[in-house]
Amino acid sequence: MTAIVLGASSLGLLYGERFIMTPPPLCQTAVLLMDFLLLGYFLYVGIKKRNPLVMGLTVLQALPMAYFELMGWGHHTEPVIVVDRLSVLLGIIINIVGPLVCIYAISYMGEHEDHLGLSKSRQGRFFLFMLLLLGAMNGLVVSNSVYWLYFFWEVTTLCCYELIRHDATEQAEGNAQKALWMSLVGGVAFVAAMYVGHYAADSIAMDRLLVAQPTSLLLIGFGLMALAAFTKSAQFPFHSWLLGAMVAPTPVSALLHSSTMVNAGVYLILRIAPAIRGTSLSWAIALIGAFTFMLTALLAISQRVSKGILAYSTIGNLGLMILCAGINTPLSYAAALTLLLFHSLSKGILFMGAGIVENRLNSRLIDDWEGLLGKLPFTTMTMLVGMVGMFLPPFGMLLGKWVAMDAVASSPTLEGVPLILLMVIGSAATTLFWAKWLGHLTILPIRERHSDPEVLLAPYKLSLMTLLGINVLMSVGVAFAINNLVVPILVGSYGAALTTPGLGVNTGVGTFLVIPLWAAFIIVPLIGIYLARWKGGSIETPYLAGENIGEDGLSFRTIADSESEFKVAGMFLDDVIVEDKVARFGVAVGALLVLLMFVLAVI
Amino acid sequence: MNENYIVNIVLPVLLTLGAPVVGGLLMGVDRKITARMQSRVGPPLIQPFYDAIKLWNKRPVIASRLQPVLAFSYLGFSLLAFGLLMFRQDLLVIVFTTALADTCLITASLNSKSPYSYLGGRRELLSVLAYEPVLIMAFLSIYMVTGSFLVDEVLAYRMPLLIQLPAVLIALVLVLIVEMKKSPFDVSASGHAHQELVRGVYTEFSGYTMAMLELGHWVKVTLVLSIVTLFWAPNLLIGAALSLAAFFIVLVVDNSYPRLTWRSMIKTTWGVGFILILANIVGLNLMGVI
Repeated sequence: MTAIVLGASSLGLLYGERFIMTPPPLCQTAVLLMDFLLLGYFLYVGIKKRNPLVMGLTVLQALPMAYFELMGWGHHTEPVIVVDRLSVLLGIIINIVGPLVCIYAISYMGEHEDHLGLSKSRQGRFFLFMLLLLGAMNGLVVSNSVYWLYFFWEVTTLCCYELIRHDATEQAEGNAQKALWMSLVGGVAFVAAMYVGHYAADSIAMDRLLVAQPTSLLLIGFGLMALAAFTKSAQFPFHSWLLGAMVAPTPVSALLHSSTMVNAGVYLILRIAPAIRGTSLSWAIALIGAFTFMLTALLAISQRVSKGILAYSTIGNLGLMILCAGINTPLSYAAALTLLLFHSLSKGILFMGAGIVENRLNSRLIDDWEGLLGKLPFTTMTMLVGMVGMFLPPFGMLLGKWVAMDAVASSPTLEGVPLILLMVIGSAATTLFWAKWLGHLTILPIRERHSDPEVLLAPYKLSLMTLLGINVLMSVGVAFAINNLVVPILVGSYGAALTTPGLGVNTGVGTFLVIPLWAAFIIVPLIGIYLARWKGGSIETPYLAGENIGEDGLSFRTIADSESEFKVAGMFLDDVIVEDKVARFGVAVGALLVLLMFVLAVI
Repeated sequence: MNENYIVNIVLPVLLTLGAPVVGGLLMGVDRKITARMQSRVGPPLIQPFYDAIKLWNKRPVIASRLQPVLAFSYLGFSLLAFGLLMFRQDLLVIVFTTALADTCLITASLNSKSPYSYLGGRRELLSVLAYEPVLIMAFLSIYMVTGSFLVDEVLAYRMPLLIQLPAVLIALVLVLIVEMKKSPFDVSASGHAHQELVRGVYTEFSGYTMAMLELGHWVKVTLVLSIVTLFWAPNLLIGAALSLAAFFIVLVVDNSYPRLTWRSMIKTTWGVGFILILANIVGLNLMGVI
């Protein structure tokens, strides 16, 4: 029910004009009150869990906030709510993918609680925070008052914290607190940004700040907002909370990674991007995004746990979007928007699929997922298409990456070259980690064994099929998506950069033939299937450099006729890419880059 | 009008369909030259075609139900990538399309549960990791000079690319070695069997599926060589001579170097390739060309 209402209302807004509203003072007071309640709760959490970081960071924002309010600086902000085309795009993502994840969660949480053997259901609490998160995200993308933006930002922090610790294990508790303190760093940056806004432009209305004279003080303010965005979007050096978040039930990950939470950071950077065009600050933001993209793609190769790969992939793609937003040309802005849209559509599918598999196999290790295509054909096929959709043509995600490459390439030479170098390495590593996982899933047993048919609850099927359907339709009709969702956003501050002549998409420096590629993508495998039927062939056991034993072809005779079995295992290169080391390197470089960003903002 | 129709549609289609023929002949040349370098006589020039036809007519044996579909998709998408080049389309889209073809090959080799094939598939992935970034960087430098990723525009560019991008061409030769699965970068499979690898990605293919892989491989080699041709776009005959020269260099290298491990492969293609391309770009920038 909620799903339909939210989805319909966001589509309704699509065809509306810019929508402005200032709620009565009572609402403002209510938000103020709730904000301090929220901070009070964080403080309580900090004290109860004896976490000095949480305590300190909460106090660091509560006191300045109180002073800010006492002076009455935030009172004359008008308008409080502004809905423009960027908000609408975000709204569509949140309100279509979000509710589908919630539908999926109805089935998942039932199974999950059966697994845990809970006597009393805790689902009420779970869905409360899931829906609250959707609500807060909606609020976040329409707030023009930085104060309101900050409030909704903190509500998403709260929901995230509560959802990660939902299972109440020790690990969940620890990871939730990590997510909390990292998000609170963002909160502190936000409060500081409010002060900057007040002193530099005498306003905390986003639309005023964006058009104000860009003094270096104001640039620092935008730098602070970018810092807050990095915490939410899990860029280096704040990447680890999103990895920790995978201890939560899978729908939480699906929601955080696809349509909510992490998108908030990208949204904020997209929001401030027009105001920092051509500054070194913007370039520094791009560099952090590019660095994150490259390093997480390498880290994803080393992951043995399904959700670990997905998490690194999310962080990397967010990095790519931030890279594009930072390059800050009309084309790169369009690339960021396209990636944002298609990433949420694809990542949702993968997390939901991974959750189903995990509940069936009781394992998150992808080595245990060998030959899943034979065991869970429906779920696996959906995931396979989702994976192909992440990195191969003709899907929308790859189109976004292609636009991004064109955009980076067409930025000024010597600034663009380091960025594109990071990008092409990341891009190739992305191909590697998806393709190896994809291949591993398709291993089929040589002799068909009888296995139980795959039974899926209706909400599972509904949510997976709908999301996959939307992804494919949007990818085929990408011209429609670009003309109706992306270009209207560009027109305001950048001017249209993408055109859709004939059968493809044009960036001015290249053409992506969407329709012919899709036609080939469908026709080629169909001919392949026909050919396979025609030529056929008997299935034989593999070559093992020794006599095969048995019909399954899983063992062979070796020295002195002894029987020897073999296994195949994934490639993780974790002797080369040692996760701890690489991640520590990433955090260190990330911290330096953030420092560099502020230095560049000042000068 | 009529002439346009021939140049814009009929010719590219014919060229695309001709790619396997050209590729097969190149493979024949390869075997002949290699044999001469090793003081052998070598097979006839059209031996690769005899081989392919023989393979096609063998008793069909497959390793899994998906295998033939994926093998054909590899061929089909390789042809698609080549077709995009002949229709003078976007260079980056061509790379992504070859990645699609590669993924089909890799999936086909991973999905037949066989240790050698699996090992080959993993190494094929590493080969993609080794050459794809270099190839994209090379295209980037072409873009910086010509102002477009469209082959159409690159062909229309007046000055031969070789004059402005000599180092990039050398980097492309590295890519060509990996794509042709030639020593020292033949880690995933090669023309002849290696002890620890058997035939790598190709191990579990036989008969008609193997024939399709061979054809796909020919098309891909022709694709990279055609890209080398672009380096003398004003006169494509000189361009073709250039690509044949590159082809010959690859054969010389193949016969003079032992194969490396995948680590050294990535170190070499990235290290040497990136440095060459970056030096070229920075040089052009200092000279004020871009």
